[in-house]
Amino acid sequence: MQEKDYMLKIEDLSVQYITEDEIVYAVNGINLNIEKGKTHGLVGETGAGKTTTALSILNLVPDPPGKIITGSISLDGEDIISVDDQGNSYPAMSERQMEHIRGNKVAMIFQDPMTALNPVFTVGDQIAEAIQLHEHVDKKKAMEKAREVLEIVGIPGSRADDYPHQFSGGMKQRVVISMALACNPGLLIADEPTTALDVTIQAQVLDLMKDLRKKYDMALLMITHDLGIIAEMCDEVSIMYAGRIVEHGNLEDIFDHTRHPYTQGLFNSLPNIQDRKSKLKPIRGLMPDPSNLPLGCSFCPRCDYATEKCKTEPPQKIWLSDTHYVECHLYDDGSTESKL
Amino acid sequence: MSMNMEDNRDVLLEVKNLKKYFKVPNGYLHAVDDVSFTLERGKTLGIVGESGCGKSTTGRAILRLIEPTAGEVIFEGRDITTLNKSQMRDMRKDMQIIFQDPFSSLDPRQTVSQAIEEPLKINGIIKDKNERLERVMELMKTVGLAERLVNTYPHELDGGRRQRIGIARALAMNPKFIVCDEPVSALDVSIQAQILNLMKEIQEDLGLTYMFITHDLSVINHFADDIGVMYLGRMIEKAPTETLFENPMHPYTNALLSAIPVPSIHNRKERILLKGEVGSPVNPKPMCRFATRCPYATEQCFQEEPELIEVEKDHFVACHMCK
Repeated sequence: MQEKDYMLKIEDLSVQYITEDEIVYAVNGINLNIEKGKTHGLVGETGAGKTTTALSILNLVPDPPGKIITGSISLDGEDIISVDDQGNSYPAMSERQMEHIRGNKVAMIFQDPMTALNPVFTVGDQIAEAIQLHEHVDKKKAMEKAREVLEIVGIPGSRADDYPHQFSGGMKQRVVISMALACNPGLLIADEPTTALDVTIQAQVLDLMKDLRKKYDMALLMITHDLGIIAEMCDEVSIMYAGRIVEHGNLEDIFDHTRHPYTQGLFNSLPNIQDRKSKLKPIRGLMPDPSNLPLGCSFCPRCDYATEKCKTEPPQKIWLSDTHYVECHLYDDGSTESKL
Repeated sequence: MSMNMEDNRDVLLEVKNLKKYFKVPNGYLHAVDDVSFTLERGKTLGIVGESGCGKSTTGRAILRLIEPTAGEVIFEGRDITTLNKSQMRDMRKDMQIIFQDPFSSLDPRQTVSQAIEEPLKINGIIKDKNERLERVMELMKTVGLAERLVNTYPHELDGGRRQRIGIARALAMNPKFIVCDEPVSALDVSIQAQILNLMKEIQEDLGLTYMFITHDLSVINHFADDIGVMYLGRMIEKAPTETLFENPMHPYTNALLSAIPVPSIHNRKERILLKGEVGSPVNPKPMCRFATRCPYATEQCFQEEPELIEVEKDHFVACHMCK
């Protein structure tokens, strides 16, 4: 494969939360690349390691107890996390340099817009603060720009003087988005950006994000549990389970050529709008305790296709095509046909 | 057993002109405004709508967990809004509720068995301690909780298991009717499917009647026999589930249905994007409450509030356009 122009490159990232009692294996060796201007969906359930992955990119994993154990991360060609000769990972930047990267090159929006805003400052102040910091302009200029970015997300600039409680949930999320966009980041990380919103408002916000992505040619890492949003927004998808990416591909690979039993389980768990009489087929059992992962494949205890090998040997990445890989022993024999 | 005279339906619950207003500094907040419907025994009525539309308030007002401002709630032929406190307590054995958040609806200091036992104890259903424990075990089995969990505390359990405790508590009194207030919204999809299947099984086994409150239209499509759509305190459309999904009439229902993200990359449909936001439920003017966001609104919509009318058999719509 030829080298592409990547905005984000993550290689072999592992993150653990180390406490006196136990070690929580949150992320266990993942690779994730996003080309400039593309949207990458990261799907998984609570505790799969999605948010830890996102925080690693910003070097914001709370330390202690969080530790990046292995792996490297580079943003637009600049290393954020590097590996030394002994194979240990270390932050490649000072905190000061990192502060410059956050907001400028990469910005993040969180799930809950109610808690992401400071209730005692006007939204204009909060947006202007970021602009002042990164663009070294005076307060007045920054405020002007703040009004501009509010207009971009469809809020009248005059409302910059209002406080967060004067906005509805959907509008607060727009404010948060405008804040993230204020310095034109090359990569936007959106962690469940619409989960707290109603469906009709969610539709508005997703539409807005699509427009802005095109306008600014921004790469987007979309973290969600909603496969419907993935189908609508993303170019590529990674399915995450217990800290591993178990299946990765483009939309067609994942939706039409599903190969991993977990991915299939996710689809079967969703109520089907077209066929309302069909019985839901849930995945049995629960996600394993991340401080006590199974020896072999993490999904093995819940998998209907598990064999002896799955109990003892963790599966390796198997490329089924140029774009599609899966981590599952079912495909060890080299076949690319579905075994499900 | 109450039989509706017009058609031979076995009606368990009839709600007539239910209203709940809350006093706020600048007037009255019309949380539920003149909602009426009937619910047949053994069926599920889905109530959908966005935050603040009054769906949870409706559920709670029916159980008199909050006192309705006006209206009748007729349960098995008896208007329960006229009952006194002790009569109401008796009545509640038949009418239970399952809450949304299994993290805050359980007492952190009660073990699983204490939590499930509590309603049996308080209502004096089973006085003997050993018999009570037997019943707890039976209930745990019904909702799929392993026996070994009997002495664990909620914080040791995941959301799905906690929600199973909530269901077991509701089932403890052998109710006839359960209000399910967003019972799966806080759960991951794979667990959500487990709980939905469980609730369906229990309903079939015990002949329960559900009022299922949710904002998730794909869940309700799977679960309900009839669906009522609410907007700012009003019921704006009500129809059998299939009819509602195939032939939605109210412009809001249409927009709501088109806004569901579909997990498929084929035959993607055009979205109807609504302008603006939900209006305020405080002192609403006598006009259609959806008019300000409605792409089809006419002069009439801003002057007259539409009534919920039966447009075709069993299909009720409150819209001036749909007469």
